Amino acid sequence: MSTDTKQVTSEEKPAAKPAAKPAANLPAFENSISDKIVEKFGDKIEVEFVKENRVGIKVDKENIHDVAEFIRDGLNYDHVESVSGVDYPQDKEIEVVYHIGSYSDSSLAKQILVLATRAVREENPIPGKDATKLPTLRDIFYSVEFHEREVFEMFGVYFTGHPDNRRLLLPEDWADLPPLRKDFAIKGR
Amino acid sequence: MTAELPPGLAIQKVDERIMTLNVGPQHPGSGHMRIIVQIDGDYIVACDPDPGYVHRGEEKMAEYRNYITNIPHLERPVIHDSCNALYPYVLGVEELLGIEVPERAQYVRVICSELNRCIYTMYWLAIYGIFLGHSTMFMWPAGDRELLIDLMEKISGARVTHAHFVPGGVRNDLPPNFEEVCLRQVNYFEKRIKEYAAVFYDNPILISRTENTGVLSREDAIRLGTTGSVLRASGVDYDLRLKEPYDVYEELDVHTNVMKEGDSYARSKVPWLDMLESCNIIRQALQKMPKSGSVRVKLKPNPKGKGLDSVYKRVESGRGSLGCHIVSDGKVEPYRLKLSVGSFRNLIALPYLLKGEKLGNMPSVYWSLNYWPVEADR
Amino acid sequence: MSVIAPDFKLSGFIKAIINDAVWFLLIFSLIGFPIIMMILFFIPMPVIDGELLTPFLAFTYLADPTRTLPIVQAFMTTDMFKIMAFPGFGFAALLAAGTIFVERKMLAKLQLRVGPFYCGKIEGILQLAGDGLKLISKEIIIPAKADKPIFWAAPVLFVASAAAFVALIPVAPGWVVADVDMGLLAVFAVIGFFPIVTILSAWSANSKFPFIGGIRALFQMVSFEIPLILSLLGVVMVTGTLNLSEIAASQSSFPWIVFLPVGAIVFFITMLAELERIPFDLPEAESEIVAGWLTELSGMMYGLVQLGTYLKLYAFAALFVVLFLGGWNGPMIVPPFPMELATEGIELGPVTAKIGGLEPLLTQVITQEMLNGTLMFVLKTVGVIFFILLPRGVFPRIRVDMLLDLGWTKLIGLAFVNIFIALALVYAGVLGPGGLQ
Repeated sequence: MSTDTKQVTSEEKPAAKPAAKPAANLPAFENSISDKIVEKFGDKIEVEFVKENRVGIKVDKENIHDVAEFIRDGLNYDHVESVSGVDYPQDKEIEVVYHIGSYSDSSLAKQILVLATRAVREENPIPGKDATKLPTLRDIFYSVEFHEREVFEMFGVYFTGHPDNRRLLLPEDWADLPPLRKDFAIKGR
Repeated sequence: MTAELPPGLAIQKVDERIMTLNVGPQHPGSGHMRIIVQIDGDYIVACDPDPGYVHRGEEKMAEYRNYITNIPHLERPVIHDSCNALYPYVLGVEELLGIEVPERAQYVRVICSELNRCIYTMYWLAIYGIFLGHSTMFMWPAGDRELLIDLMEKISGARVTHAHFVPGGVRNDLPPNFEEVCLRQVNYFEKRIKEYAAVFYDNPILISRTENTGVLSREDAIRLGTTGSVLRASGVDYDLRLKEPYDVYEELDVHTNVMKEGDSYARSKVPWLDMLESCNIIRQALQKMPKSGSVRVKLKPNPKGKGLDSVYKRVESGRGSLGCHIVSDGKVEPYRLKLSVGSFRNLIALPYLLKGEKLGNMPSVYWSLNYWPVEADR
Repeated sequence: MSVIAPDFKLSGFIKAIINDAVWFLLIFSLIGFPIIMMILFFIPMPVIDGELLTPFLAFTYLADPTRTLPIVQAFMTTDMFKIMAFPGFGFAALLAAGTIFVERKMLAKLQLRVGPFYCGKIEGILQLAGDGLKLISKEIIIPAKADKPIFWAAPVLFVASAAAFVALIPVAPGWVVADVDMGLLAVFAVIGFFPIVTILSAWSANSKFPFIGGIRALFQMVSFEIPLILSLLGVVMVTGTLNLSEIAASQSSFPWIVFLPVGAIVFFITMLAELERIPFDLPEAESEIVAGWLTELSGMMYGLVQLGTYLKLYAFAALFVVLFLGGWNGPMIVPPFPMELATEGIELGPVTAKIGGLEPLLTQVITQEMLNGTLMFVLKTVGVIFFILLPRGVFPRIRVDMLLDLGWTKLIGLAFVNIFIALALVYAGVLGPGGLQ
């Protein structure tokens, strides 16, 4: 697949695009989506990237609930495909990335809206009882239920307001670090 | 006391009328998972799926291996559909590294992907048959599946775990005379699976016991974020091969199969219709494929991403959308790799659908969700 | 190339044989012989040639066929033989074993596979024996909180009920273990035992899945017994008797299925349900409740239940044959035995071998009617068994609410239709006194 439509708007990525592509303004539809969000929330959000079919948005955890609500009601996105946690020990933060798609709006069928937010990371995590907390999006997107449970057990990010904050994949008596954190090392590697 | 226990170990108080059944993991009707079912008489009042018995930490393993050595283990979650399991990862790495894939390789990928979809669906159908007590429907698909496994063995050399897709194309070119053999076997396969209608899909007992059970309405299917055949059986026309075509799917004439009922019967019939459609796609791809040419771009050893970057690629696998979110930090290993699998997304519908159902409907509803426990656990 | 027994020594071989023989003689004379004597002491021995057959005399006779055949004849007319061998348990178990083999091979052919193939060289014919040996050699595990005496007794009770059922079936004219006048009522009574045994086994296991399976079996059997009994009433009306032998004998010109097809269909469906066969195998639905009421049974306990199940299958098929397909009646296709061979002996050139005692055996016990009746009966039974086995390859399992709906509404209704047909036939004078029969 062609990758030449990739466009980087964020300042964090200076490494990309040595020669500016001529089709830099191709993702016009994607730009219109990000513009709508920027228009609504202004500097509360940060547009991370706009690529072909993908719009990346970064939000603080205070605003994520409102932004998600606007994405559902104002932009017609209706379900979350994936919730990934990404651990950044050097920033002392854990990023939680929601990939939001739409079934009901056929013009959005190709689009994935990447909504990222960050939670505080603690060195000695006590999952559910430390500061690593985020507001849940389950009341907005029902489909995040199991994904958020997975992020909770794998990263220790507690989702306040989630009705069912139990473990999902890990055994009930797991007493180690949340395993997908970077400081949980695989033996022998 | 009980507050100190981990959440899953806490003893729950239930009504005396209610019986709690642990269906699985050592149960012929559960697969590698446990479904905690609470029944009142013959009715299910609550259902709590408990996956994780085959959690292998694929995502953690991927952080310790470079982009090439990640290939063989990433197809392990669903070995019957291994080409489709690798597909989003390979597409994502190609986008990260900026690789163009030769056209012939794209066609070979489409053929492999469709063959694997049929292989997986046959296995799924076999288990669906035996879950309903129909042993002929267990044996027939398990036998006819061999036709396509032979084809995949000719292509890749391995019967199930092919590891055939690599960033930059496919591992090997097609063997000589493959087109004729493939066409013959696929035609016979299509003839065989059409016979399944007579013994299974048109069977009055099957229809009477799966129709109107576990009905998932269109709105709920969208709200729960289900995918693949479950979504299409509820009347949502969403197939990534059409909606977000990858590789050469946009040059092929792909049709999707949508049913409106949203019950177990529709959910079990859509994958079967998809197999017939896959046969069409394979025939078209064989016809349109360039007869010769390169199938693989040479990569540098230990390819690296370009700085902090992330991609999210998805394909339509046998169980629906299969997404791969790769975060790269410019090293030879991915910084984070997340697989968003169709099975995991469809699992959320299980407690929703089973509530209020009869216990006898549990196997048909559960397996009609096109759920593969190993893939869901990753 | 492999060498069989490379260390073979003739002296060692002879020594081993002698060793075995000595041990055999020792064990037989110490244990076997007294046991035979004890058994023979309790069995009333027949009178042969005006002389009471004592055990010692019996051993003396064994060498001489003219004296042995009367013993065989006498033995074949005892109740013990009838119960254990011919119309009773042994015969039924043989047919049941054949049924298992045929079921496996037929289902395999239906499903494009080979089925049992290796055990016993020819098409896996010894597979059943192998399975039996495996089951016998397996450990029997009893759940810790099970009600042990009942749990132990249930498989035995199950086989006993099935054997009691088998005992009521007339195979050939006069060849029935229990020729009771209330035969059909006895059949209903015996069928009523099965749900009780099932629920006893399921309840005593003290485990959830057997419990659900047992409850399901109870539902299924109890609710299908009513259409079962009603569907057979038509036959009783047109024959006017409950004796199974008389019912079978009454169909010498035509079987009742010609006049009562509705009853036959209802009986066949209820039979499938009583036998827990697909599509009615809800009590053993493995994808829902593991193995249902059989979940906690292990080793030979499970083997006994399987034996009982197949005995029951034979008995139901035989009941169908007796009631609707004419029992032993049919064309005489067994040729008469050349009686001059028995009376005048077999001439082989200069030698004439005359076996005395063969003639009474052939004229009184193993008659042409008996052989032909048995053949007809077996042919029909095998056909019915085939139709019982066939749905397993075709149908999925149905649900318990559909099953109860079928039993309580449709089948009972059809059974009443059948009764009205029978009444109409009797009152119109087609059948019964003044009619065809």
